[in-house]
Amino acid sequence: MLEINNLHVKLEDEPREILKGLTLSVKPGEVHAIMGPNGSGKSTLSYVLSGREGYEVTEGSVTFKGEDLLAMEPNDRAAKGVFLAFQYPIEIPGVATMQFLKVALNAQRKARGQKEMSAPDFMRMVKDRAAKLNVSQEMLRRPVNVGFSGGEKKRAEILQMAVLEPSLCVLDETDSGLDIDALRVVAEGVNALRSPDRAMIVITHYQRLLDYIVPDKVHVLSDGKIVKTGGKELALELEEKGYARFTGKAA
Amino acid sequence: MNAIVPSTPAETALGMSLPNRRSEEWKWTDLRRLISAPYGRQAVTARDAEIDRLVAAAPLAAVKAKRIVFVNGTFDAARSQLPQGSVSAPVAFPDDVIVAMGSRLQAEGAALTLEGNADLPIEILHVATDGPQRAMGLRHSITVADGATATLIETYVGEGDYLCNAVIEIAVGKGARLDHIKIERESGKSTHLSHAIVTLAADAVLRGFTLTSGAALNRQNGTYTFLGQNADARIAGAYLLNGSQHADSRLVVDHAVPHCTSRELFQCVMDDTARGIFQGKVIVRPDAQKTDGKQSSHALLLSETAEFDAKPELEIYADDVVCGHGATAGDINHDHLFYLKSRGIPEAEAKSLLIAAFAGEAFETVEHEGVREALTHYAEGWLARR
Repeated sequence: MLEINNLHVKLEDEPREILKGLTLSVKPGEVHAIMGPNGSGKSTLSYVLSGREGYEVTEGSVTFKGEDLLAMEPNDRAAKGVFLAFQYPIEIPGVATMQFLKVALNAQRKARGQKEMSAPDFMRMVKDRAAKLNVSQEMLRRPVNVGFSGGEKKRAEILQMAVLEPSLCVLDETDSGLDIDALRVVAEGVNALRSPDRAMIVITHYQRLLDYIVPDKVHVLSDGKIVKTGGKELALELEEKGYARFTGKAA
Repeated sequence: MNAIVPSTPAETALGMSLPNRRSEEWKWTDLRRLISAPYGRQAVTARDAEIDRLVAAAPLAAVKAKRIVFVNGTFDAARSQLPQGSVSAPVAFPDDVIVAMGSRLQAEGAALTLEGNADLPIEILHVATDGPQRAMGLRHSITVADGATATLIETYVGEGDYLCNAVIEIAVGKGARLDHIKIERESGKSTHLSHAIVTLAADAVLRGFTLTSGAALNRQNGTYTFLGQNADARIAGAYLLNGSQHADSRLVVDHAVPHCTSRELFQCVMDDTARGIFQGKVIVRPDAQKTDGKQSSHALLLSETAEFDAKPELEIYADDVVCGHGATAGDINHDHLFYLKSRGIPEAEAKSLLIAAFAGEAFETVEHEGVREALTHYAEGWLARR
């Protein structure tokens, strides 16, 4: 589904490389965790996959469902099935959450040559999925993320994911700022979306989230490269022994 | 104003001198330079079909209201559901340029006393039909009786090249509430000059909103004076400007008495080489303690060549007050845009959504649901034409 090959990325206005030859292959149905210390390039990877401006790919390739992902606009990537759950979800004043979901879903359907969803069907679907994530009707009426608490923002991200039904979910530090109860709700939401034709990349600093979202593979990202790959037990090992033995320096 | 300089054709036609940039309050809107056409008073006859078409296409045509219709500056009894009434002369501020121009143009208008709780809004609709270059004046006088509740709409539509001068005096009585909505959707070749002179008695509530979007050249003055304590005025506005449109709003909020609240919120969208200006002055008189006055203007610039100027002025002579102002100007927020695109919304649609949301913050202040919907619909149409 996703093939990242020798990816080198730098910021557009800085010479320093952030990703230095990252290679990763993700198949449908798999959940990959990417763990690494601060500054290892985790968020850069998520932004490059979703198409945020300000980054320059100097070498390597990213292929998604056989197509060159890097050549696509962010909205085309989304319509093809890429979804980034933001570490810091953006507040959009004046755009109601419900309206935003509807416009986004219908834009994606249109791009895929599907018919728009009818208003009643859409409302029913959102209400149903919102309830499972403890997202209230009141939150749906409010502008996107405006005045939401940290936990509400993360739940709203997962709701978007549940409504848009992407085939590749990239979760960027979804656990940050969550207490244990909120973490459980979010993780249940994510687990409910696991399916044989949907892949996930879970980016996290801590092993904690992986108690709830159990990965098939764990990768250690250090200084812009994957330096170690293993099963879910690798996360426990990291938690116990720290990153230092993989990164060659004190974490 | 300056005897040495020969009159411009517009000054000759109007029979008065026009202010130029040397006058502080006109520094961004040099009428002398900007009004080049010889707009004079001239009676025209318009075909019924043309008037009906413009009335039907007016932005609030779908809003259920009692209408008073003026065509080319003249009362149209047949199309009106309320009588014209008689406006008593003279109005306040006779030396104000816009008021003086209205007098030169022998402006006529509606005189209304609003009592009780009106069930429907009253819309004063002015229609300018395509015709020779000319000037027309309107002068309305509105009294909201003590304790009354009303919604008053002023709408300006037109076609062709003309100057419309509109002066409205509004007195909001004790404990009364007025929602005053103005829609400036004049012809794209026209000049619109207006002055709203509003007084609020004790415990009065005013909710003002102005959409500025039509005229090539627009200058709107607003003077709001608190005459009694515990009155509350919220004045909002939205600009949707493109091409080479020029719009300048100058508001003066005069806290002449203690314990009053005023809020100003202007959301201004400028595209192409359009220029928006917001001048807001808050005066707090020496004994107007406990005044709470805030104003803010925000500009969204959709092109490199669009321009916005803001001039907030606070003149405070009392010491126990809360007053503030804020002004921002910028282009579309790139983080917002990326977030929407990352969810599959194409760039053009995402931009439209964000622009509509920006203007919508001002629309939200309008209580009347039908008017709010009409404003949203108007903004959608404006965006679709981009």
